[in-house]
Amino acid sequence: MRKTMMYVFMVMAFMLLAMPVYAQGGTAGGNWGIPIAAGIGMGIASGLCGLGQGRATASAAEAMARNPGARPGIQFVLILGLALIESLALYTLVIIFMKVG
Amino acid sequence: MSTPEIVPSPEAEAFYANAYQRIVRLMIILPFVITPLLWVRFNRHVAFGFIAGCLIAVFNFYWLKRSVSFLADRVTSTGRKQSATGVVMGFLLRYFLIAAGAYGIFKSSAASVYGLFAGLFLPVGAILIEAVYETYGALRRGF
Repeated sequence: MRKTMMYVFMVMAFMLLAMPVYAQGGTAGGNWGIPIAAGIGMGIASGLCGLGQGRATASAAEAMARNPGARPGIQFVLILGLALIESLALYTLVIIFMKVG
Repeated sequence: MSTPEIVPSPEAEAFYANAYQRIVRLMIILPFVITPLLWVRFNRHVAFGFIAGCLIAVFNFYWLKRSVSFLADRVTSTGRKQSATGVVMGFLLRYFLIAAGAYGIFKSSAASVYGLFAGLFLPVGAILIEAVYETYGALRRGF
């Protein structure tokens, strides 16, 4: 019974996915990949920027804990680093906006 | 065998200590220089979008600095005690305000969006100018 229900739900899911197949197609139909690529690109850029910021912050925190006397320099470099990493995600957003918008 | 101790020169220390203040000053001066140029070259929508982007960027940079200072205080166990909730809420509020500002600009005019994006890069421009200035200073001091 459980297996039958699984098949039923799988077929229903497949039918839901297949619905757009019956829709009338557009005339151009050549640029459908741009929004998908934009979404994936923005996701990758944001994720990698997040990883970079985390790594920079972790290294700076470790350095400050080891050598508190060097705090002003490390803090300043960390602020600059975080601002520049954030700007990388912004570059991606601008490129995506220009391609999609 | 002991490694020689590296002692930075007081002149260089003072130079880097003032770097943050110079970046903030540049972030205040640059919009006053660029906005009239954008108004003349493009139109007022782009100029207003640029101003909005600059305001968002300055606010963003200020909160970034506050969050980093808070982190440094915690790591080095110095400075005055701040509430962690307040800093986290401020950090979240920063994103909310940026999203609200960007949404308002998106809805108002398509042309101003380009100005907004240009304004968001204000800290990058200020940091680049500061980098050029620091390179010049380092060359003048002879490293």
